[in-house]
Amino acid sequence: MVTPNKHRGGGRPGRFRRALVALTAVALVTAGCGSGGEAAEESGPVTLTVSVWNLAATPEFQAVFDAFEKANPDVTVQPVDILAEDYPAKVTTMLAGGDTTDVITMKNVTDYSRYASRGQLADVTDLVKSKQDLKLAGLEAFDVEGKYFAMPYRNDYWVLYYNKKMFDAAGIAHPDKLTWDQYAEIAKKLTKGEGEQKVYGTYHHTWRSVVQAISAAQNDGDQITGDFEFFKDQYEMALDVQKAGATLDFGSAKQASYRTMFETEKTAMMPMGTWYVAGILKNKAEGKTAVDWGIAPMPQKPGASGVTTFGSPTAFAVNKNAKHTATAKKFVEFAAGLEGAKAITKVGVVPSLQSPEITQEYAALEGMPSDELAKTALAPDKTVLEMPVSEHTSDVDTILKEEHELIMVGEKSVEDGIASMRDRVKKVLD
Amino acid sequence: MANAVTEAPRGAPPRGSAQKRRKRRNTLIGWSFILPNFVGFALFTLVPVIAAFALAFLEWDSYSAPEWVGLDNFAEMLEDENFRVALGNTLYYAAGHIPLTLMAALGLAIVLNGKLRGVGFFRTAAFFPYVTSLVAVAVVWRMLFNPTAGPVNQFLAAVGFSDLPTWLSSTDWAMPAVIVTSVWRDMGYYMVLYLAGLQSIPEEYYEAARMDGANAWHRFWHITLPSLRPTTFFVLVMLTIQSFKILDLIVVMTDGGPGRSTLVLAQLVYREGIVEGHFGYSSAIALVLFVIVLSVTVVQFRLNERRNR
Repeated sequence: MVTPNKHRGGGRPGRFRRALVALTAVALVTAGCGSGGEAAEESGPVTLTVSVWNLAATPEFQAVFDAFEKANPDVTVQPVDILAEDYPAKVTTMLAGGDTTDVITMKNVTDYSRYASRGQLADVTDLVKSKQDLKLAGLEAFDVEGKYFAMPYRNDYWVLYYNKKMFDAAGIAHPDKLTWDQYAEIAKKLTKGEGEQKVYGTYHHTWRSVVQAISAAQNDGDQITGDFEFFKDQYEMALDVQKAGATLDFGSAKQASYRTMFETEKTAMMPMGTWYVAGILKNKAEGKTAVDWGIAPMPQKPGASGVTTFGSPTAFAVNKNAKHTATAKKFVEFAAGLEGAKAITKVGVVPSLQSPEITQEYAALEGMPSDELAKTALAPDKTVLEMPVSEHTSDVDTILKEEHELIMVGEKSVEDGIASMRDRVKKVLD
Repeated sequence: MANAVTEAPRGAPPRGSAQKRRKRRNTLIGWSFILPNFVGFALFTLVPVIAAFALAFLEWDSYSAPEWVGLDNFAEMLEDENFRVALGNTLYYAAGHIPLTLMAALGLAIVLNGKLRGVGFFRTAAFFPYVTSLVAVAVVWRMLFNPTAGPVNQFLAAVGFSDLPTWLSSTDWAMPAVIVTSVWRDMGYYMVLYLAGLQSIPEEYYEAARMDGANAWHRFWHITLPSLRPTTFFVLVMLTIQSFKILDLIVVMTDGGPGRSTLVLAQLVYREGIVEGHFGYSSAIALVLFVIVLSVTVVQFRLNERRNR
């Protein structure tokens, strides 16, 4: 038994070594695949990858892609579709993992500032400078010490959506420049029915901005400083409306879709961003909803002179690890420019580019409310950035969201909630 | 017995290098068998775990060069209110989830171990939640717990309760609601383990006990439970590990809310690391979580050994 073993035993380590060499070779080849990114100038057909969220429900993406492909026949745009709720976390992970998706859509300014400060985005300052003659709303939000790492292509702000039929049936004038008190009163008046049949006067979605960002905008408040006394009136109004049953309670709203609430006519009013216009237009065109809708300016503080609302721009940025950097830059420039703006205007999205031509095209859209009220709503006098950008934005955002929940579900009084916001934010700032 | 077998050749007179070579050959063959599994484990578990341990002493945003900060991350944890809240919530969850799941699983197993008509169907039904997608489970239970339109509160109202809890929108009731959901989901799996344990208990024990006049309770307490000790130990260890690692169910059901009332450690690890990009701090929390789970498990092993003696 021993002798044959002797022979075979000698062969083993050799084979083992060979296997190891093969394994290492495989490992090296696989590793090599990951680092072939830096291409200079592209020629021939290019497949440009762009990260997007909810492609099916967000028609402007496809509109820009189609327009870009038409203008650049040798480019195919391939969307990387991500669930909207997971978008920030997913993109953060992708970028951290060295993903080579060419164009990264910046869903909000907070995440943008983080990616930019980490050096994960390509510098596009030259593009921005070369397009200085264009008026891009919200561009200043992307200024990082004089440099730009993204270019806004759309700029959303909040308006008051309302159901014309319900207002007319109740004999109430359409909501023209209401004060918040008048708004609450109308919301209570328009609430009717019970149980499944109940129609609410208004719908407040669970986002903290519904209360916090609007009161910051209209009271010149700063959501980073730690002093949040200016939230008080807005919270009292929101809680009063909720207590009267004139809006879906916070707990149930957590599970509700604001689109369904408005499109199935479960609510007469709804403060919401202009991004929703595209969604309603699409669903109306496809016959999925019959809601007779209008838009009005956001309600204001008593004695306010003009219309003040809040909003945030959306931008395209070039990934630092992009496979096709040149084409990606071309895309970013295209989307922010006139052609991109025209393309998204057609599906009902408010572009960042401001020009009389675009405004006119937007108002003349098929199915778009064209009354005077809509025109005032679409030309707010002042649009404040939803959340100021600083290195503490995301920490403060988490705290404000948590305390907002506690106030809205009635676990904390407005005073206590605002006090703990202050205490917790001060700790972060120190 | 296993010792005796390996002892025998060792006791034989040494045959020098041939003996050694044969041993090495056997070792290599053995290694080659576990290699495929080990490579996967090493690449996707061992290396990341070791890297995470190292990261706990660094500050790293995943992009710029990591910076050595020593114990700063742990010092930060002591100051961090979020960490304290999450630790408390994790312990609360474990304190509810572990005993309740264990009892539910044992109870189900005993009931379904009998000669019941359609026992196969009921066993499958009890196991079903475990193979259902967790997201579906969480979403459905979230609807059941809806404060106004949810069946749970409608049932409670129908049987005469008033002043009902608002469940997931209440800081006091959100965690119990999550625990109920997770017990419902997990009990089927541990029931199967208990069923296997129950079937290995010889029928003769019960017969003998019955002869001696032991009633059902006595038989359960003095025969079933002690015979199930190895199973209970295994279930307890698995449940403990699973409990402390809870993440997915909470993310879908409450996302840590309302406020921070259901924020757990694993979620804080995710939030600090993946969302905020503080990978060093996040790894430090993960390390603490690991140490907690490890020490609880070690204590369980010690106690089990002592009882086995």
